[in-house]
Amino acid sequence: MSATVAIVGSGPSGCYLAQALRKLLPEAELTVIDRLPVPYGLVRYGVAPDHQGTKAVTRQFARLFERDGVEFIGNVHVGSDVSLAELEEMFDAVVLATGLSADRPLAAFEGVGGVYGSGDVTRAWNGHPDDAKAGFAFGEAVVVVGNGNVAMDVVRLLAKDAGEFEGSDITGDMLGGTVRQIHLLGRSGAEAAKFDATMVRELGKIEGLAIDMAQPLPEGEAKVLADLHALNGKAGDGKRLTFHFNTAPVGPVMKDGRLAGVTCRRDGDEVTLACDSVVTAIGFDARDVAWRDALLARAIDVGQGRLTERLYATGWFRRGPTGTIADNRGDAKLVAAAIAGHLQPGGRPGRLALQQKIGHQTTSYRDWQRIDEWERNSAPPNRVRAKMTSKAEMLALCAEGLSE
Amino acid sequence: MKLSLLYGTETGTAEMLCEDLQEKLEETHEVETANLEDVTPGDLALDRFHIFVCSTYGDGELPSSAIAFVDTLKAEKTDLSALRYAVFGLGDTTYDITYNNGSVVLMTALNEAGAQVLGERGLHDASGLDEPLDLALPWAEARIAEAGALVD
Repeated sequence: MSATVAIVGSGPSGCYLAQALRKLLPEAELTVIDRLPVPYGLVRYGVAPDHQGTKAVTRQFARLFERDGVEFIGNVHVGSDVSLAELEEMFDAVVLATGLSADRPLAAFEGVGGVYGSGDVTRAWNGHPDDAKAGFAFGEAVVVVGNGNVAMDVVRLLAKDAGEFEGSDITGDMLGGTVRQIHLLGRSGAEAAKFDATMVRELGKIEGLAIDMAQPLPEGEAKVLADLHALNGKAGDGKRLTFHFNTAPVGPVMKDGRLAGVTCRRDGDEVTLACDSVVTAIGFDARDVAWRDALLARAIDVGQGRLTERLYATGWFRRGPTGTIADNRGDAKLVAAAIAGHLQPGGRPGRLALQQKIGHQTTSYRDWQRIDEWERNSAPPNRVRAKMTSKAEMLALCAEGLSE
Repeated sequence: MKLSLLYGTETGTAEMLCEDLQEKLEETHEVETANLEDVTPGDLALDRFHIFVCSTYGDGELPSSAIAFVDTLKAEKTDLSALRYAVFGLGDTTYDITYNNGSVVLMTALNEAGAQVLGERGLHDASGLDEPLDLALPWAEARIAEAGALVD
């Protein structure tokens, strides 16, 4: 009897794990579970909608389900639909690959209206069922806090005009249409900025965008500096982006109960930037999966992703919220080797038992293909896809398919 | 013909493409595939026609699995003047001036070692709509025909 493995999460860490495990265990029954009816997690909902080349990694993941005999079961929430303990009874090994999607909050700004997390904003632009309907009021002036690639994604998407999303799959009318001024705040100096030079150059291609720096840029060896110097002073007749380095946000400025600005500290001085909204892009954390800490603390070997005898973790859930999509591939090889080394077929029934346990409609890869086809066929002009943004709509389309 | 497919990859696309190419090409050729990570320049069998599939990472750089190979090639100045090869590059036009530059870096290193490149570099754009294999297979068949003509 072949071994049964459940992988919880169909984002890059889950799919890479399935890929690596399939190479080591050609006969095992591999099942990828997702709480949403559709696969690919962060690739579909976290990668910027105008970075379709990055999203194209799904070409690799698709063949898991189309060719390599890996099964997708969507619309199953591990926790409320089936407990982790139950899942461990059903499968010989269970792998947690759910990532870390909660925005790390900026303490002094928590709970303030008009302050949004970059993860929520990015998911909304990507049509995530949980966030698509969330209303973001960016107003005319936005302060973006953070100096990584996610902050740059937010800046770029706010800075582009409606006509500059050709070939993307950005959702709806949540573009930064009202925005005139974007302030990008980074605590460190320009030479230590974490964003990539390629992201800086991409801003240079936004036609109407004027770009300047709040302080003189340093000279130096850092690659990103040359590209920042090239951008500095870029003229444009539309929106304006101002880089503020060595600038830390201190707290919100409120006026008539509404956010009106951000107080910052820069080289010992206090500076106030007027704004209508703030987007924090200072990383992600595990605040919505508080049980993760205890699990990792008791783990047999976190380095190999082995939490207990038959429970594993991979990707950001294992190693924390740093690194790129491609880094999960290395993680997957490591964890897959640990699983293959310890896996013992125990006669556990696998996906059949899971399907019997779930009383409501679940989705298969075939269902995803149906949704995918609908989304591609429904794409508005100059878009590659229209995202279906409600779970009910997705499930209805799949149910239609069942009666065909 | 005896073919060696070698890939330099970061996200796995070049590996996938080589697997696909092997499946198609081995209908008529003897094909072996390897990750550049597992190969040194001295290992290359010079009687085989080599097809390198190489992506680009970061700011026009080599993908991680190709770095050691190219470093060794430069350091050891391996003589590859008997090697005939072709390069297929994977890139993303989003990255503009560094588009598909990883395959250029690899090609430059191979040429400096004396290797003889056949035909045009093949290119795939991840932001485009083409499947990698749809472009790479006819491209590879054309390169193989050129290599065959040289032998005859």
